[in-house]
Amino acid sequence: MKRVIQHPAPETTGRKYWRSLEELAESPAFQAELEREFPQGAAEFHGDDLSRRNFLRLMGASMALAGVGFAGCRRPEAYITPYRKSPEWAIPGRSLFYTTAMPRRKGAMPLMATTYDGRPTKIEGNPGLPGSRTATDAIAQASILDLYDPDRAKDVMAQGKPSTLEAFWKQLSDLRTQFAANKGAGLAILANVDSSPTRSRLKAELRAQFPAAIWAEYDPILAASSLESAQELLLGQGVTQAPLYDKAKVILSLDCDFLGFFDGTTDSIKKFADGRRVAKPGDGMNRLYAVENRYTLTGGMADHRLRLPASQIPAFTALLAKELEKTGLNLGLNGAADAIAKVSAKDDFKTKWIAELAQDLIRHKGSALVVAGSNQPVAVHVLTAAINSALDSYGTTISTVSAPTREAKSIQDLAAAIEAKSVQTLFVLGGNPVYDAPAELNWASLQKSVPQVIRSSYYRDESSTGAQWFVPTAHYLESWGDGLTPEGAYVCIQPTILPLFAGVSQLQILAALLGQPVAFGPQAVQETFRQISKNNSELAWNEFVHDGVLTGSSAKSLGAKPAIDRARTAISGSFASLGDKSLELVLVPSTSVEDGQFANNGWLQELPDTITKNTWGNAALVSPKTAKELGIESHVNKGIHYGKMVALTVNKRQITVPVLVAPGHADNSISLSLGYGRTQAGRAGNGVGFNAYPIRTSEAPYVMTGVSLKPTGEETDFALTQEHGAMEGRAIVREATSEAWAANPGFAKEQGIDGHQPYIEAVNPYTGQTEKTLPSIYKHPLMTGLNQWGMTIDLNTCVGCNACMVACQSENNIPVVGREQVQHNREMHWIRIDRYFAGPEGTPDENAVENPEMVMQPMACQQCENAPCETVCPVNATVHSEEGLNVMTYNRCIGTRYCANNCPYKVRRFNFFDYNKRPIHRTQVGLGPLKVESERPLYFGPLATRPEDEVELIKMQKNPNVTVRMRGVMEKCTYCVQRLEGAKIEQLARIKGSENHRLPDGVVKTACQQVCPAEAITFGNINDANSAVAKAKNDPRNYQVLAYIGTVPRTSYLARIRNPNPKMPDAISMGLISTPAGHEGEHGHESHDHTPHAADPHSAPAEGATSHGGSGH
Amino acid sequence: MVRRPLVANKRSYHWVSDKICSICEDPAPLWWWFFTVVSFVLMMTCFALIGYQISTGVGVWGLNHPVGWAWDITNFVFWIGIGHAGTLISAILFLTRQKWRTSINRAAEAMTLFAVICAAIFPGIHVGRVWMAWYLAPIPNSNAIWQNFRSPLLWDVFAVSTYFTVSVLFWYTGLIPDLALLRDRAKNKIRKVVFGILALGWRGSNRQWSHYEKAYLILAGISTPLVLSVHSVVSFDFATSILPGWHTTIFPPYFVAGAIFGGFAMVLTIMLPARWVFGLHDMITQKHIDNMCKILVLTGTIVGYAYIMELFIAWYGGNPFEKFVFIKSRVSAPFWAVFGYLPFDWAQGIAKSLGTNYGPYWWAYWAMMSCNVISPQFLWFKKIRENPWLVWMVCMAINAGMWFERFVIIVTSLFRDFLPSSWGYFKPTWVDIWTFVGTFGLFLFLFLLFMKFLPMIAISEVKGVMPESDPHNHDHDPKKEGSHH
Repeated sequence: MKRVIQHPAPETTGRKYWRSLEELAESPAFQAELEREFPQGAAEFHGDDLSRRNFLRLMGASMALAGVGFAGCRRPEAYITPYRKSPEWAIPGRSLFYTTAMPRRKGAMPLMATTYDGRPTKIEGNPGLPGSRTATDAIAQASILDLYDPDRAKDVMAQGKPSTLEAFWKQLSDLRTQFAANKGAGLAILANVDSSPTRSRLKAELRAQFPAAIWAEYDPILAASSLESAQELLLGQGVTQAPLYDKAKVILSLDCDFLGFFDGTTDSIKKFADGRRVAKPGDGMNRLYAVENRYTLTGGMADHRLRLPASQIPAFTALLAKELEKTGLNLGLNGAADAIAKVSAKDDFKTKWIAELAQDLIRHKGSALVVAGSNQPVAVHVLTAAINSALDSYGTTISTVSAPTREAKSIQDLAAAIEAKSVQTLFVLGGNPVYDAPAELNWASLQKSVPQVIRSSYYRDESSTGAQWFVPTAHYLESWGDGLTPEGAYVCIQPTILPLFAGVSQLQILAALLGQPVAFGPQAVQETFRQISKNNSELAWNEFVHDGVLTGSSAKSLGAKPAIDRARTAISGSFASLGDKSLELVLVPSTSVEDGQFANNGWLQELPDTITKNTWGNAALVSPKTAKELGIESHVNKGIHYGKMVALTVNKRQITVPVLVAPGHADNSISLSLGYGRTQAGRAGNGVGFNAYPIRTSEAPYVMTGVSLKPTGEETDFALTQEHGAMEGRAIVREATSEAWAANPGFAKEQGIDGHQPYIEAVNPYTGQTEKTLPSIYKHPLMTGLNQWGMTIDLNTCVGCNACMVACQSENNIPVVGREQVQHNREMHWIRIDRYFAGPEGTPDENAVENPEMVMQPMACQQCENAPCETVCPVNATVHSEEGLNVMTYNRCIGTRYCANNCPYKVRRFNFFDYNKRPIHRTQVGLGPLKVESERPLYFGPLATRPEDEVELIKMQKNPNVTVRMRGVMEKCTYCVQRLEGAKIEQLARIKGSENHRLPDGVVKTACQQVCPAEAITFGNINDANSAVAKAKNDPRNYQVLAYIGTVPRTSYLARIRNPNPKMPDAISMGLISTPAGHEGEHGHESHDHTPHAADPHSAPAEGATSHGGSGH
Repeated sequence: MVRRPLVANKRSYHWVSDKICSICEDPAPLWWWFFTVVSFVLMMTCFALIGYQISTGVGVWGLNHPVGWAWDITNFVFWIGIGHAGTLISAILFLTRQKWRTSINRAAEAMTLFAVICAAIFPGIHVGRVWMAWYLAPIPNSNAIWQNFRSPLLWDVFAVSTYFTVSVLFWYTGLIPDLALLRDRAKNKIRKVVFGILALGWRGSNRQWSHYEKAYLILAGISTPLVLSVHSVVSFDFATSILPGWHTTIFPPYFVAGAIFGGFAMVLTIMLPARWVFGLHDMITQKHIDNMCKILVLTGTIVGYAYIMELFIAWYGGNPFEKFVFIKSRVSAPFWAVFGYLPFDWAQGIAKSLGTNYGPYWWAYWAMMSCNVISPQFLWFKKIRENPWLVWMVCMAINAGMWFERFVIIVTSLFRDFLPSSWGYFKPTWVDIWTFVGTFGLFLFLFLLFMKFLPMIAISEVKGVMPESDPHNHDHDPKKEGSHH
């Protein structure tokens, strides 16, 4: 019998949206909820009550109310101005963008937050700003995860018991009355460093109201910097200098990692890349000299790199100054001649290196730039300024700009006041001094000795213990604020969501102390804006919030010149001589978790160190030679790297850390990153790595000499994401010197095994351009999509900063797997940065193991036209799209892993466990009453459930346009297909039925491309000959990795060009990581080994035996 | 030269029937109970660990990026290889009229089936989402997505399932006359009914024999190409890939030879103890052992040739990636150890050209070489062939060697492939190890049940090759007359 399906009868009196809304709004329960909703709205999210359902319910209700004319609540009309286009209201499933900024120690980073239905999910750079535009760094990308951190502080606490914000405001008003009597004597505030002009304004008001109060600021990283005092000495107060890396032809970095984020910014990477980018031989590119003790990103990009202990940088600078003076350059250092005259280099190689460097600097007078690391002593900065001044760099490659002065006492002053018992009430706002204050202050007990401590921070961290009052700090995405970018532009911090928990901003606390209104709102910032912009109109304010930046507020060039005469007295005493053999310890911020404030961020903990590729922990880095001398070599056993534990003692202070051998590190020098060994960071950050702060003092916060090192006899394991550092003579990363490139523009296609392929000239069916290609016996059917996606990555500008890795993780919902899984090589990053060490044998100064060249290569799915993964999948889960994407159907995947095995680039990632559903960190596992604590809960499968707060919060970060993958499924880069499809839909809507729905070039960017400060990634439609990517593919440096297999990848690379100075003693060792396959008359079989002798810096006689190299073997 | 008789000591038909049937009919000896219980426990361990793996994730094994397959597929290829001897003995030796096959074919076929069952477990459970494994079956579904017929993994599914089906039919067909014999000898009702059903009404009429022999011949004809195709298809999993170490045209014949090699070794491994405990020396004679040893020498040498040829091509082909896998990851270590420490320049040169960072799995390669290439060479010697202990030891070495061969192919190709940045290392977890050990429990458990409940030697076929069956027998030896039963 045929079955007739009966549809339910349609409702005759269908409920209308508005009617039901009115009903809802009139119900007493909802009215009550609304009452509590204002003004904080945070009440609903208290404690365990937070769930997605609850959240959405509130979101939905408040949105609806906004529509019928109630004052905005969760999406306040008055507070938030949407970015650029002004959509009427959010369309479910479509994103809205809001400009905002992230406060950082060196200034605010202008951002644009992507929100879906009121949830911020992704961070981008604010494209409205000049400079690095859409670029950000890894930390800014990862900051979105902090917003949804289940471990963030949620409750106001008074005397260790839960309290309310109302009680806290009352406490502050009581304090105000109390201190009004004695002008603030006994009141002290210790705050983190922040660029906010509003905070400065409130600080000034505070000073006026309570002149006797102490305002101190402390930042553990900036505390090591002498740059500010040096610039004050050289340029006067309120003036700072900004190196123009794009203008310089020759750059010398003296321990200045301006391509990292501590001496540099995204803008400095962009400027450097601009000066580095080349399209054809003969294009001028800059030349970079780097002198540093450990490999940094800057050293990796250098054309000439000298390994030198950080304590010998002053001597090197002095020698360079001497050499420059010898050649007749007047540095104006007359008074300091003595100190410099005494310096000498004992080493022929270094003498020659300095002499040739000096010559090159002089040759490029007017386009040379010398930069010194901010942590180097004032003398180095004065010498550097003298050199720059003599080379006419000021005004050409260095601009001087005004900078706000930081009027604050130091933490040492505050400590003295506390010791003198003159502090009754201490505010500790932000920062984490108990963890990171200078060791000699013994801050933990100092803070305890203060009668009343009021603490506001994002986490209940080390410094929150024992505080009488604790107030959670709001995330920057949930509070109003402002800031100045490192370039001096005035930017707005706009909330994109109301505080998820009872968080307040520092500005609110200061306002409360001043007796001003504390409501969540922009009033305080608006007031500052009016003062700065001198414009009272609402329109100007709206524009400011909309654009995120005050137009024309960037610092103007002042044209100041350094006063060497005034400063040269700073060059005194004697310099440690070059070649000194005493052991030094250098403390640097981690490239992942910085000073430790991001320790609970899983993305950052799992983000490999840019050089060592170490995750979830830190290590003391030493050179292979020093390790051998001291008997502390690291080794590999069954795929896991082990390091010896050593006790480091400086001035009777001792820490125990593991040693990882690092190729390219200076001898007799130890580098150790800060930011690890947290005890109250949260479930991700607790007990990860080793804390270096206990030996870090105010006197020597950066370089410590007189270090003694003693192996404890124990070992510890590391979780490295890359275990083998040598290229094994394979031309994977290709490079040539600028000379070799000029001699053979097409070198990139001829290296390695490709040098023996019979390339033919053929027309690329997509780009229409004639190009050298490999012949194929199989004619692949053409893909018919209008857009044929392709990508190029310029290895000449990629510095390897890791920003793309986190951007991808954030965009594509990539899970964190934890330390133990990283050790099993199960990390999930869709894009990774491969780092290779190599160097030809017989480098003049040292051998290749000690001083190798370092190159970076971002590696993600190459979207092969002949994808080897597709043919082997038995269930058709990975197939090719008409637009040239190698697409992955997660629902269809059964997880045979055959595709990953057959992928020559090893970019496919398999979900070995249910990383999204199961707990990763130590937790309770078991059923009912049978519960045990486990370090490896993943291995308990269904017996381990992820804590509810983790699940509920973290899923709010997920990009709704990307599937969250379950276990047993393969995943990989898709060129951000969700963005491509989104852009296509928008284009179709725009053209309304017209035939031409090809996307204009540049309207769609992949997450990695968008974030890249160096703009090394070009992406677009290769079917469009005018697109940037089609042009890049036509670059003579264009090559495909492993082209010989015939995979025809859509991602190709532009070979790297090194620009060595041929006269330098180490010129021969640069740019030879893969030597050109000289075809001259040798076609025999043995000529296949054209590439490298790239000596393996990590060669070890046997597995299990000692290997050199942190990342060796 | 007089041919050695296939059944020694001039045994009678009755003796043959009685000897074999009594194994099934008498109460099980104590040792049988012991081994059955032990293997049952192991089997259950295997099942429990499979349950653990499916409930928790593939991560409980030691797999990682880049080693996406390791013990799972090693075990699969190992067991499927063992499953080759049975059908080869039944089908190819049948077609080529090798009469000596009759006393070993039944057990070998059973072994094949059980080995294929063990093998089939691994591709089934190694996938990330076992509950979706039915996507591999070409059945109409609402998604209207077909399988990818270009994938060797899919060919595998078809090849193995076809092989298993045909092997079961072939085995069962051969069992029918013997099942009827057991039915006829049955002394209790249950046996009578069960064997009555299983014997499918066999009466031993001429007509039935005629049909039976035709069917058997047809099945042998169908099975013969399958013997060659199954392992060829399994080898395509590797050969059609692009991975150096897998991407090799020699794989199909090399895998088939290896499978026969491994299969025969396993037949001997099982039959030698069985012959001893059940006193089957008169049916499984020295001649059988000799023949099988000779096959081991032949196939072992083919396998050895393939190993050397792979190395030669890796060098001659000049592909540095392939050269790396074979020379550095697999063979180099012992050579390096020899040459690298010699105080001569030329020796140092050789050592250096082999590379200083040879692979950590060199021991697997050399275990494979010594077990598979060197150990069968002992079987050239008659003295050794006639010592069952030595033969058994050689077979055990080959069993281990064949497992190592698959491990070498799979893991040492994967763990260091194209981009050194992705190199890794594989080490098995306890789950890997006990799941594999557990499959031996499953295999033995099934085999012990088979030995206890079914005739482990094809009674009717053995009778067929005895002199009495020869119509001309009486012409030569009238004294034998009357020995029929």
